[in-house]
Amino acid sequence: MTYGLPAARKFAKITIDHTKCTVPFLCKKCLQICPELVFDVDRDPQVEKRGEEVDPRIDGNYILGAHRYDKCTGCKLCLEVCPVNALTIEVPIQHRETFKASH
Amino acid sequence: MCVFCDQYGDPKHGNGLWYLNPKNYSRNMYKLRDPKEGFKGRMDGPEASIPSHSLSELIRLADEGNFEQFNKVHQARVKGGAGSQVVPMADADKVLELSFPIGLIACICRKHYRAIDERNEHEYTCMGMGVGMLKWERWPERYKGGVKFLDVEEAKEWNHEMDERGFVHILMLFGAPYIGGFCQCDYPNCDAIRHTVDFNIGNVVKGHYVAMVDYKKCNGCGICAQRCQWGALKFDNTLGKSNIDIFKCFGCGLCQTACPRDAITLVERKNVPAVAEVWR
Repeated sequence: MTYGLPAARKFAKITIDHTKCTVPFLCKKCLQICPELVFDVDRDPQVEKRGEEVDPRIDGNYILGAHRYDKCTGCKLCLEVCPVNALTIEVPIQHRETFKASH
Repeated sequence: MCVFCDQYGDPKHGNGLWYLNPKNYSRNMYKLRDPKEGFKGRMDGPEASIPSHSLSELIRLADEGNFEQFNKVHQARVKGGAGSQVVPMADADKVLELSFPIGLIACICRKHYRAIDERNEHEYTCMGMGVGMLKWERWPERYKGGVKFLDVEEAKEWNHEMDERGFVHILMLFGAPYIGGFCQCDYPNCDAIRHTVDFNIGNVVKGHYVAMVDYKKCNGCGICAQRCQWGALKFDNTLGKSNIDIFKCFGCGLCQTACPRDAITLVERKNVPAVAEVWR
């Protein structure tokens, strides 16, 4: 069995302005529109304390991430729905060699 | 034989299937899962079960072209993986009979990727099992999300309902053989399936069955074609019937339960030589 990268291309660069995007858990527009499920929300590690409740509805407790940026196709649907224009996406068109790692 | 049956199966119970061995549901299992040191940092919550953190590291390393390090991280991941197995609906029912207590909870993957609010009881798509459910307050966030305890009949009913909606049933292990969760997964919202299909990272162990189509009975209605989450079932245009790639089949049985003509059967994996020992 091999682990293959989705495609032999350079990944898109997604930057999120966290000063603009403060309550991703409530807004969730980009999260729900992305066909490739690039985005995720998680507790902000700086706010997080072990054993304590972190309310996702309070400003800044949860942050938006784009950890699956390898799957970004550059369709830019998320840019259209973002109410605060917090996202920027650069999609390179260079290709690279395929890589496969064995188990 | 699958890795789990090898260690935890009992030929006297449930045809040797490990998840039908009542011993694996004893109360002390929950303690067994916790090593002496206990959990640290992120490990105190179910979020820790989300492997996206190490996956994002893999993506970053691939992006940078650091394939040497990539290999190391990947290999470590594979070693530490294997924490879940796909089961068909009928087997899941038997598991529900053995397990106690059973509670509905919110799905952490769907919260993570689709921002589904865990506080909404109607959005619960996960099932927690075993004494761990009584210790839910270990995870304050989850606790706030709430638990809805079910009896066996309610749980079965819910299981069938989820099957009808088209979710794959996956048993989640929190330290084998302790079954802590019974997930209802779909592509691409769930980590377990997504990692397997997109990234070929073997976190999910395949089920004990594979689905096969009886071409005599299949009339090509195509209902099953929308059910497969693994990319194994395709509609064969030439024959006008469904076609299942057994090598990709995980044996979840979603196509089987959907077929109105009983044209799809679940065959035991061990009876199909080519995939008898293919578990990842």
